[in-house]
Amino acid sequence: LTYARRGYVVLPPTSDEEEKAMLHRMMRVDHAGEYGANRIYAGQMAVLGRTQISPLIQEMWDQEKQHLRKFNEILAENRVRPTLLLPLWNIAGFALGAGSALLGKEGAMACTVAVEESISEHYNSQIRTLMEKDPEKYTELLQLIKEFRDDEMEHHDQLIIEILVFALPFYVLLTHDPSLLQVPGYQLMKAIIQVGCKAAIYISERL
Amino acid sequence: LCCGYWDMAALIRGLRAGRVLRGLGSVAVQGTLSPQGSNVRRAFHRTILLQLVNDSKSDTSVPPPSYHEVHTAGESSSSSAHGESSEDAQPNTSFQDQSGEHGEDYETEEQLQARILTTALEFVPQHGWTVEAIAAGAETLGLSSASTGMFNNGAGDLVLHFVTQCNAQLAETLAEQNNKVQLGQAESKKTAEFLRDAVETRLRMLIPYIDTWPQAMSILLLPHSIPDSLKHLSTMVDDIWYYAGDRSTDVNWYTRRAALTGIYNTTELVMVQDSSPDFEETWAFLDNRIKDVVNMANTAKEVQATGESMVQGLMGAAITLKNITGMNQRR
Repeated sequence: LTYARRGYVVLPPTSDEEEKAMLHRMMRVDHAGEYGANRIYAGQMAVLGRTQISPLIQEMWDQEKQHLRKFNEILAENRVRPTLLLPLWNIAGFALGAGSALLGKEGAMACTVAVEESISEHYNSQIRTLMEKDPEKYTELLQLIKEFRDDEMEHHDQLIIEILVFALPFYVLLTHDPSLLQVPGYQLMKAIIQVGCKAAIYISERL
Repeated sequence: LCCGYWDMAALIRGLRAGRVLRGLGSVAVQGTLSPQGSNVRRAFHRTILLQLVNDSKSDTSVPPPSYHEVHTAGESSSSSAHGESSEDAQPNTSFQDQSGEHGEDYETEEQLQARILTTALEFVPQHGWTVEAIAAGAETLGLSSASTGMFNNGAGDLVLHFVTQCNAQLAETLAEQNNKVQLGQAESKKTAEFLRDAVETRLRMLIPYIDTWPQAMSILLLPHSIPDSLKHLSTMVDDIWYYAGDRSTDVNWYTRRAALTGIYNTTELVMVQDSSPDFEETWAFLDNRIKDVVNMANTAKEVQATGESMVQGLMGAAITLKNITGMNQRR
């Protein structure tokens, strides 16, 4: 998390209005995403806070808190407007976290896996956009987004292993297929969550 | 487009000694004042006039007009109306003049428009926020009053220009103050005081035009001008809060700016009908509104704190009850 600790400006200074609008939009939606992720973990901890899984969730939640802190810094420094829907993401995130946690720790982990996959894909598309435009100019921003994307992928991979190895080893032994999609109901939950994330990203970019 | 222009350029050079084309040009300009005139034709005429103006200034051979000149002229979407101008008062209006006789001295159309509008402000007390004021301003600069054709929005352009100017001045003042505080040369003000001073500074800029300001306000509310005026208002409010030290990135960002917008607008309305000496009543009104907002913010905090302690109290009561009835024990 080296770049999360550095204090200096990440967005390149620009006088082109269109470019500024694009960068602000990207930071706005990323900020909303990390805020939502924070609330999801908070919801999960509220339900599963006293179980075996809580140290793992807490550790991931702390990393998301650091991400959010970094985006708060960027927004404040660059005078970026936060999205108007933050109260909505507050409630929706908490509800999703708590709801998935009520399905048990596997439910919570599966929800997090789906969300982290959506976020990683979103970061990847942002990286692609910036690389297409001008990798030199956006070096710092690209480094930051890459670092955060790597963190999210780490959460994703960690939880997949958790689920497959510790929670559902029988499925894996029976089918010899270490994929989460074989678990009944997971496909449905994943589809719902990913559509929800896409919609959230779409709205937050514009509002 | 280009080929036709080259022929015209040859014609100009041929007739450089005579002033025939200049007369032609001014007639052509009169003819193209209707908004339906084609941009291209206007662009030609404008470049022709400019060439003539440049010719009249020096006897060096006219350089072939660069494609850039034609391109720049063709790109401008407003109607040209550079009428006759006296030699001495002629401002430097050559686009990208390659002869370089004035060095880097060229003016874009936006700069020219800005200059006309700034000069027009002097005539606002006399003519109000109208096209007549713009025409008077243009005439002072030595341009024909037909230059008002450049402004699609007429009076709206004038008001928006004034608003932009005031906001820029305010931002500069706030930045200077901020600098001083950073350097330790001045003390930082408390938020309420800062907001009050910022709004007062901005509203005081209206004082020279206060008699005609209601007219300006109604112009800003016309559907055509609303997007721009809202944008200027929100940028101004954002600037004030930024320099007041607001770095919030949650819903507070919105509530604070909404509150300040309300304060500013209501105080502006009070100001236009205030007749007390040096607008004392307006500043008193402003004071009270800011106090209200601060009070509300404090009350909100208190309510939240009270709510939290109440919840804790209830939880404690529930646990005590469970203990008393023995429900908490595991047998």
